[in-house]
Amino acid sequence: MPDGSAVATTAKPGLTVRLRAAGPIPLDLDLACAPGEVLALVGPSGAGKSTALRCLAGLHRPETGRVICNDAVWLDTGTGVDLPPHRRAVGMVFQDYALFPHMTALGNVAAAMGHLPRGRRHDRARELLTLVRLSGLEERRPAEMSGGQQQRVAVARALARDPAVLLLDEPFSAVDRATRRQLQEELAALRRVLSIPVLLVTHDLEEAAALGDRICVLHHGRGLQTAPAAELLARPVSAEVARLLDLRNIFRGKVERHDPTSGVTLLRWGERTVRAEHAPAFAPGETVDWLVAGAAVIPHPQDLSTACKGENSVVGQVSALVGLGGAMRVTLKITSPEGGTLSFDMPLHAARTAGLVVDKKFAVALLRDGIHLMRQIPTS
Amino acid sequence: MDVSIWAIAMKNFVGRRTFLGASTAIFAASDRSACAAEPPVVAAAADLQFALEEVGRLFQAQTGQALRLSFGSSGNITRQIEQGSPAELFLSADEAFVFRLADAGLTRDRGELYAVGRIALLAPPGSPLRTEGGMDAIREALDAGRITRFAIANPEHAPYGRAADQALRSAGLWDRLQPSLVLGENVAQAAQFALAGGSQGGIVAYSLVLAPALRDRGAYALLPDGLHAPLRQRMVLTHRATPEAERFYAYVQQSAAREVMRRYGFVLPGE
Amino acid sequence: MDWTALRLSALLGLCTLAILLPVAVWLGRSLALRRFPGRAVVEAAVALPLVLPPTVIGFYLLVAFGGRSPLGQGWQAVFGHGLAFSFEGLLLASVLVNLPFAVQPVQNAFAAVPKELREAGAVSGMSPWSVLLRVELPLAWPGIATAAVLSFAHTLGEFGVVLMVGGSIPGETRTVAIAIYDRVQAFDEGAAAAMSAVLLGVSMVALGLTSILSRRVGRRTVDA
Repeated sequence: MPDGSAVATTAKPGLTVRLRAAGPIPLDLDLACAPGEVLALVGPSGAGKSTALRCLAGLHRPETGRVICNDAVWLDTGTGVDLPPHRRAVGMVFQDYALFPHMTALGNVAAAMGHLPRGRRHDRARELLTLVRLSGLEERRPAEMSGGQQQRVAVARALARDPAVLLLDEPFSAVDRATRRQLQEELAALRRVLSIPVLLVTHDLEEAAALGDRICVLHHGRGLQTAPAAELLARPVSAEVARLLDLRNIFRGKVERHDPTSGVTLLRWGERTVRAEHAPAFAPGETVDWLVAGAAVIPHPQDLSTACKGENSVVGQVSALVGLGGAMRVTLKITSPEGGTLSFDMPLHAARTAGLVVDKKFAVALLRDGIHLMRQIPTS
Repeated sequence: MDVSIWAIAMKNFVGRRTFLGASTAIFAASDRSACAAEPPVVAAAADLQFALEEVGRLFQAQTGQALRLSFGSSGNITRQIEQGSPAELFLSADEAFVFRLADAGLTRDRGELYAVGRIALLAPPGSPLRTEGGMDAIREALDAGRITRFAIANPEHAPYGRAADQALRSAGLWDRLQPSLVLGENVAQAAQFALAGGSQGGIVAYSLVLAPALRDRGAYALLPDGLHAPLRQRMVLTHRATPEAERFYAYVQQSAAREVMRRYGFVLPGE
Repeated sequence: MDWTALRLSALLGLCTLAILLPVAVWLGRSLALRRFPGRAVVEAAVALPLVLPPTVIGFYLLVAFGGRSPLGQGWQAVFGHGLAFSFEGLLLASVLVNLPFAVQPVQNAFAAVPKELREAGAVSGMSPWSVLLRVELPLAWPGIATAAVLSFAHTLGEFGVVLMVGGSIPGETRTVAIAIYDRVQAFDEGAAAAMSAVLLGVSMVALGLTSILSRRVGRRTVDA
């Protein structure tokens, strides 16, 4: 791309980002996104996702930071480099699309083609509108198009300047569910033909998991963890991340000792000892947060009296039952002094067989390999 | 706005001078020496509103030279000249203003007396003022309580206003009439006020009431000149005066102009 | 009918627009989009001619134009004549007096252009100039046209300030409004009536245009 001035010393294909700011919108974020990769930024509203995206586009300036795209430095507060948005090769889709209301669909797309000779622009704009399946609607103005059609124009416009990075700011939040699913499928298809880094900001974890190769969890402007969705859900680095991912069954305990020979780490949890997979990274005596995946909570095969003697058995009282499709979500109030609740899904028929009703006493076992230990991080 | 619209607009409205000819330099063309062809600005006391227009028409008919006439109270014109007005010739209704400018070094010399003015009582049709009675008519109307509005020019800066003021004081009417006075910004406005509905009359320049424009608009009577200090009207050329202004200055003193002035009731110097 | 005065007023109106509109677009846009120290003061200063009596403005302008002020002296030194009682002085006065009539519609128009559209322009590769010309001005033009119409009509009608700093010189400073005043004093009601009718017509057309344009401003923002 002609955009971008200085050449980075550590040239790496894709996007490398480091953002820091104390306020008014705090930022503490390091990101890398390879060509062809989709990195999803998720977090609750106000987490700084959009601000981070705006920093990349040059619409917001962090206190300190570096944004390097391929071999071009877009921002380096250390050396005073700060390219304005029109000199950064970004394509951006805004949450409300921000289409130019006085231009047609074709005009909107062609407007972002300042780098092409005039004569080429309309042909290229037509190609892009065809790519987003809008051929035939070239002469429509935004007010004459549906939300989904407007979103496609916005995507075509974002691609029009042949960007080195594609930035999507909550691109599906302004359309209805059915349209959203269709647009998501289209984006998934589109990304296969794009060989540039794509950053997707969303507050929807499912959307992030479906579209993102990796997910970066943000909270209060801090990047807490970046990992593929499966790893993120199985092994969040902290209780904070786990809660942001809407994971349940998070408890606090203390590492008692390691038993490498049997591949077990023993956790003190209230008055009982929980056997977890061997986790030598945690020192004996360290207080840790731990979670057990819902899938690793299994109804105990034995009756209540013998259940107490099995590995990691927990007895509780059913406090809520919610049917979700073919499964029953069970919430169990743990009866021992350490308290807390366990949440897990059971097949409907199994729940029926077990005769589950609210207030019934029920025993479960926590599978050792579904237990994940997390270091305590002082919450900000 | 479209540039071509501007171009057309400029072409239509420019012509007076090269002003704004170039779109870039708005003020570049405003050098006065470049517009010597423009008619000289003649600032004149408002009592000359009609007389000087006629003199000017004669002048233009004879010489082909146009004039730009601007009328106002002598005091206001004096202030404007002090503040840099482009007037080249000033015909004052009171020589004191000319001397004031001369003393400030703003004129070529102390000018020339060109007329002595007179004042007249003017009343609109239907007014209780019987103008032929002169100052007595005002007294009678006052006694009858029939004067509510009476117009004169502002004595502060209009010489004819001061003359009217003096005349009313001489006749002992000032105190009684004062609550009813309306003041014109200059004597022409005073005449307009005097004839406007709701006013019973006024004291204005004799030269105005004799004008064709005021014919049939009201009744009038010349007031004795002993009632006020003489209105010695003096004119003077400023330092801006061009040869065209000088020619008009001379023309005003010649017989054709004097004939017009006489017709408007002025007493002329040397007569 | 005093055609010289009408032409002069029209010329004054157009020259006022030529200077005022770029200033108003810059100032109105800055006031609409930027937060800078002293912004409230600038806004108040721009609105001042709305509430200040024309004679007060005229008085200060006379002082500013006078031979004792730096402006008057500087002008005299460069152009060889004073600013007072000249067309240029009148033009300067007209620009100042019309500031609120031009700046406020422009400011409202730019404030109505969503921020995201300017940002979208920038991330579409448009330079700030390009964003201004291709996104902001096309959306804000009804406001700018309103500013032009209002300023032009107001210039034609301005009386007090022109009377103070103009001096009623034919073809130089005697505008229609002054000419009407002069014609009334000269007992020429016919000409005064004709010129008054012209000003009345211009004002009514201006108001009509303004109301049509303001509805357009509304529609544009709804579209956006």
